[in-house]
Amino acid sequence: MTAVLDIRNLSVSLPRGGAGNVPILEHLDLTVAPGEMVALVGESGSGKTIAALSIMRLLPKGAAITGKIWQDGMDLAQADEAAMRRVRGKKIGMVFQNPLSALNPTRTVASQIMEAWRVHEGGSAKAARARALELLGEVGIPNPASRLDDYPHQFSGGMRQRVMIAMALACSPQLLIADEPTTGLDPLIAKQIMALIARLRREHNMGVLFVTHDLSVVEEHADSVHVLYAGRSVEWGKAKEFFAHPRHPYSEALLGAVARLGQARLQNIPGNLPEPESRPAGCRFTPRCAYAQAACSAAYPLPSPAGGTAAACLYPLPAGAQPAYAAATPPATAPRQFLPQLELQDLTVRYGGASGWFGGTKKHPPSLAEVSLTLGRGECLGVVGESGSGKSTLGRAVLQMLPYEGEVVLEGRSFSSLRGQDRRAQRRKLQVVFQDPRESMNPRMSIGEVIAEPLRLKGGMSNAALRVRVEALLASVGLNPEMAARLPGAVSGGQAQRIAIARALAAEPEIIVLDEPTSALDVSTQAMLLNLLKDLASRLALSYILISHDFAVVSYMADRIAVLNAGRIVEMNETSKLISCPQHGYTKALINAAPQLRPHLTREF
Amino acid sequence: MSNAAMTFSPSRMVSRAFSKHGTLTTGLVLSAAILFIGFVAPFLYTPDPYAIHPAHALEAPSLAFPLGTDELGRNGLALLLSGGLATLVVALPAALVAFLTGLAYGLISGLAPAWVDKLLMRLLDVFLALPSLIVLIFFASLVTLDNTSLILLLGFISWPGLARLVRNEVLAQRGRDFILAAEQSGAGRLYLARAHLLRVIAPVLVVNGTFMIGDSIFALSALSFLGLGVQPPQVSWGSLLETALDIIALDPWWLIVPPGLLVFGSLLAASLTGQGLLRLWGNNR
Repeated sequence: MTAVLDIRNLSVSLPRGGAGNVPILEHLDLTVAPGEMVALVGESGSGKTIAALSIMRLLPKGAAITGKIWQDGMDLAQADEAAMRRVRGKKIGMVFQNPLSALNPTRTVASQIMEAWRVHEGGSAKAARARALELLGEVGIPNPASRLDDYPHQFSGGMRQRVMIAMALACSPQLLIADEPTTGLDPLIAKQIMALIARLRREHNMGVLFVTHDLSVVEEHADSVHVLYAGRSVEWGKAKEFFAHPRHPYSEALLGAVARLGQARLQNIPGNLPEPESRPAGCRFTPRCAYAQAACSAAYPLPSPAGGTAAACLYPLPAGAQPAYAAATPPATAPRQFLPQLELQDLTVRYGGASGWFGGTKKHPPSLAEVSLTLGRGECLGVVGESGSGKSTLGRAVLQMLPYEGEVVLEGRSFSSLRGQDRRAQRRKLQVVFQDPRESMNPRMSIGEVIAEPLRLKGGMSNAALRVRVEALLASVGLNPEMAARLPGAVSGGQAQRIAIARALAAEPEIIVLDEPTSALDVSTQAMLLNLLKDLASRLALSYILISHDFAVVSYMADRIAVLNAGRIVEMNETSKLISCPQHGYTKALINAAPQLRPHLTREF
Repeated sequence: MSNAAMTFSPSRMVSRAFSKHGTLTTGLVLSAAILFIGFVAPFLYTPDPYAIHPAHALEAPSLAFPLGTDELGRNGLALLLSGGLATLVVALPAALVAFLTGLAYGLISGLAPAWVDKLLMRLLDVFLALPSLIVLIFFASLVTLDNTSLILLLGFISWPGLARLVRNEVLAQRGRDFILAAEQSGAGRLYLARAHLLRVIAPVLVVNGTFMIGDSIFALSALSFLGLGVQPPQVSWGSLLETALDIIALDPWWLIVPPGLLVFGSLLAASLTGQGLLRLWGNNR
C-alpha cells in the first residue's frame, strides 16, 4: 500500500536573530503508511514541531524548505498556497496541543466543525450539522445532540481536545498530525485521548503522525518511532523493537531518564541540548554521549543497517542488547523510619467564601477538606491527583500563602499561635519551588540577587559574605558561580529550576514544597533535576512535599504517597505498597494511566 | 551561514535601529527640540520680550523680528521663547508632582489590605467623576496664581489615571510566583514595592510618565488660554494664543501658528516617545 506521507531529505531553516537562516531540521526521511501511527519524538529544540508544521506549510515567515514531502501524489514542499488550502483540513487533519486557544471561543462547536466540512465538501448547512453530530458521537462526547450548540468554554479540557479531533476528522483525512495532543491534560484524560486516536486511525485506516516529547505516552499505541535530536534523526524503526532494544545511545539515555517503577536512580544525560546556531560537527549527541569516541565528531554517521531499528550511530548498542536501565533492579530496602516534623490537622481551604459588598456569602465546596497527615524529618511525601484535586492548594496552605481552617504544626508549634517576627522566622523554614521556571524569578533581577534575596531579608550579612554564600549555593545546585551576574531571561528552563532550588536553600529550610517542579521540563532535564533533589535531601536532611500529576515522578522520589481527589485524601501509603497493591479505585485508575509504571508492558499488535 | 550578514556595518545598524525604533527616535528628536527651544534658546536669543516698539506694531516676520511683532509691537520670537520657558518650568514639575502622587497612591492601594484598597479606589472614582478642567478653574479662582500654586494645582488634577494603572499592575503582579517566594522568606510590603514591583512595572511608569508630561503642557496651555494659567505680564504659549485670538480678524498668522505648533509638538513628542518605549519594552515584560 502506498504511504499517506513520504518525506524525503527534508531540511528546514528559519531566520533567527537577524543573522540569516539557521538550519533547524536537516535531512529528515520519514514515511507514514495508511493506518499506521508514527511517533515523532524529540526534546525541545529537536525540530519535531517544525517538521509537523512544514508538512502543513504553516512555517513562520522567512523559512526555507528543501526536500520532498509526498502526499497523495503531490509534493507539498513545492505546492502553492491555493493548493495547500485544499490539502489542509481535507487530506491532512491537525490537532494542536492547546485546544482552548485552537478553538474560537465566540462560536459554537457545531459551527466550527461544520466550517471545516463545508469549506471543502460544500453541501447544505443541514448536511453539515448532521456530519458534526456524527463526528461528536464518534469522538466520544456524551449526548452529542445536546452539545452541538455549546461553546468551547462549556467543555472540559479533555472534551475540548475531542472536539478538536472531531474537527480534524471532519473531511475524513488520510493523515492526522497530532502535535502534543495530550500534553497538559491529566493522565487519565490523556490516556483516553490516546486510546481514541488509536481507535480512530484503525477504524478509518488513517495514518497518524504523533509528535511528542514524551516517550512514555506513545509506548502503548505507536507502530513506529522516529527519534530526533538537535535537528537530525538518530533512530527510527518499529516501536516494539525500539522500546525493547533501543540502539542509539541517545534513545537509551532518553528511555533511562523516564521514571519507571523500581528504578533506583534515573539516568542522567549530562550537558544541554545544543542551540541551532552551535550544533557540534559529526554526531550531535557526541558531547553528551557516554560511548563517544574520536571518530564520532568527524562526520554525521550513516544509519547502521544491522537488525532491529536503524540508528545513526558509529557504535550503536548491539541489536537485541538489554538497555542499561532495564537491568536496574528494585531496591529491596525496608521503608525508612522518620521522626514527625510537620503535622496537618483537619486542614480545610475554601475559596470564594468571603462576601462582596452586595449579596450574601456563597457556599462553595471546599478545595481542600479535612486533610490530616504527618510529614517525617527527611521524608519525601508525594501528593498526586488531577488538576482541581486540591494538591496545589494543600501545598499553599502548608506554606501559609492562603487562609485555611485547621492547624499546621511545624516542630511542635502551630502557625495559628505565632505572630510577627516569630511567625516570619517559622515560615522561612518552609520554602517552595514552583512549576514555571520563568515565573519564579523577577525578570529584572540578576540571578545573584534572586538567590541572595532570602539572605538579605533575614539580614546580618555583609555584601562580601553574601557573594560568597551565593556562589556556594550556585555550586551546590550544579551551576557555575559566574552565573550570578546574569539575568533570568538568559538561562534554560532546567537551569532556572536549579536557581529556584538554590534560592529555597538560601533560607536554610526544613521543608521544601515542590509544586510540579519538573512538569515544564524536558525528560532528560527532569531526570537531572530529580536526581539533584534526591542528593540534596540526603545531604542536607531536607523534607519534601512533592506535588505532581505525574505518578511516575512521584513514585521515583517519594517515601510515601498521598492520593488526592476532590480535596480529600483517598489513599495514603508507603510508595511501594501503594503501587503494588492500591486499595482505592481512583488510585488504581491513576496508576493504570501511567504506562511506565508497569514493569512489563503488555503490548497489543 | 553567509558571512556578509555577519559583518559589522555602522550605517546599516543605524538605519536598522531607525526602521525598528522609528517612533521612538522621532519622539526623542522632537523632545530634544522642544527642550532646546524651552531652556536653551531663550539664552541665545536675548532681545527683551517686553520692550515695546510702537512703530512696528503687528508686523509680519522680517529680519529684525523673525516672527513678527504683536499688537503692542513686542518681538514675537522673544515672546515665544520667554513663554516657552515659563510654560515648561510649570508644566514639567507639575507632571512630576502628578507622577509621584499617582505612583504613591497606586502602590498604597495595591499593597494595602483589601478594605483600604476598596476605600481608596472609591475615593478615586469620586475624583474621576468630577470634570478636571472645571475643578481646575474652581481652585484657580480661589488661590493666588503663582508658579508654585500652578504646579500643585496641575499636579493635583492629573494623577488619578496613573494611580489606577499602578494599583492594577501591582495587583496583577502580586500573585506571581517570585512575589510569593519573596513573601515566603519574610518580605514585607515595603520590600516588595522597592525590590520587585517598582522594577517590574518600571516600563509602565516611564511610558505613562512621558504621556503625563505632554498632558501637563497641554493642560497648562489650556488654563493659560482661559486666563487662569501663568499670570501677566509673564506670557506663556497658552496666553500668547489667547491674545492672538483676540485680534484674529487681522489675520496675524505669525502670532498664532508658532505657539500652536509648539503646544502640539510637545504633545506629539511625549506621545511618540511613550509609544516608542512601549514598543521597545512591550515584548520582554
